[in-house]
Amino acid sequence: MNVKEGSFLWHLYLDKVYCLLSVRNAKALLDYFHLLDVHHNNTLNDVLFFHFLHHVTNLTRSQIMKTFDMLDWNASGEVNFDQFYMLICILLAHQNHLKEQFLYRHSRPIFELLDLDGDLKLGPQDFQLFSFLFDIKKQKLKQLYEEFDFTGDHHINYKEFKLFTIFSVDKYQERQKAEKEKATEKVKEKEKEKAKAKAKWLHLQRMSFQIRSH
Amino acid sequence: MEDKVFKALSESGIHYSSDLQRQQSDIRKIWTKTQLSMQDVEMMGNDSEASSISLRRNFREDAAGGYASLSGGEGSFQQLDEVDELDGTNQEVRRGRSLDSLLGHADKDSKIEAERTSSMSSLTILNRTPHKAYWAEQQNRLPLPLIELMESEVLEILTKALSSYRSGIGWNHFMTKQLQRNIEELRKRRNARVRISGK
Repeated sequence: MNVKEGSFLWHLYLDKVYCLLSVRNAKALLDYFHLLDVHHNNTLNDVLFFHFLHHVTNLTRSQIMKTFDMLDWNASGEVNFDQFYMLICILLAHQNHLKEQFLYRHSRPIFELLDLDGDLKLGPQDFQLFSFLFDIKKQKLKQLYEEFDFTGDHHINYKEFKLFTIFSVDKYQERQKAEKEKATEKVKEKEKEKAKAKAKWLHLQRMSFQIRSH
Repeated sequence: MEDKVFKALSESGIHYSSDLQRQQSDIRKIWTKTQLSMQDVEMMGNDSEASSISLRRNFREDAAGGYASLSGGEGSFQQLDEVDELDGTNQEVRRGRSLDSLLGHADKDSKIEAERTSSMSSLTILNRTPHKAYWAEQQNRLPLPLIELMESEVLEILTKALSSYRSGIGWNHFMTKQLQRNIEELRKRRNARVRISGK
């Protein structure tokens, strides 16, 4: 799932620590929402919602309608600004490569969004239904159910889900650290090579000077 | 339950509009102070080139400080902040020139040291007040390029939605007409802005 380059959403960004919009971004988003709210209900109906998402992302029709059903948690047939804000944060977390942090920071609302039937448990089909939004791949899903299903009922409750998000974030931070260390090592090696080349060049200069002086 | 929701929404709408009015009245007060301080400067009389240079320096420093507080974080909003910065520096040049013509050029040697301190303090007051008003306005408004991007994107989305409305509920349905009116208003606003920016 990608946000269209150059679109309004593409210019917004999440705070890296809390995975939320800044006040300025939120204000801009609110103005955008009011522009879309043509019927002045402070809501978007399914048609407006569909055309909005279709314009700014590459989601298919069925994916958009699944997203709408997920967000319309009070079954009013419309999406208000709170729900719209939630959606934008999910899209931007995907766009800004903050998926793990977003899952960790907002595990409760995400769990409630995924729990469509309200039984306080998530089965594999719940994750698969929204894999396009939360990008939980098959391998990760397998790991989730193998390592975090402590109750053994083939369902994940909220505590198990929270532990999974903590584990994912730790792994993500370790990967980031390892990548940083690799990058700094590469830089150091380059600097060493440069220094060696410079030393060689100076040595050759000295040699040629000595030869000329003799 | 729906009534409660609608009440809450209408209240939030009222709060939103009343907050806007309050902010606008505060900004107007700051601008009126600016006009009063301009009159004080005219009363002061002639001033030197050095003080006008110091004015420009103070203006630049204020602009830098203002941007530090405004720009929230990383990302492409920095590009829009740079557009605002260019506008700020252009204003600075214009203001410097207008002040030069207002205050005139005096004999540098005799007048610089004598009047420097007193004129600098009054000019810094003048300098700061329009700044505050300008930045207060900027705080409440989104940058123009962003508004244009938003409106053009929303226009495209609503135009597509209109065709869905027409095919789904018909041309004469009140919601279709409402959407059509909204699209026309947006187009008019956009065209008006294009005409103004073109001038």
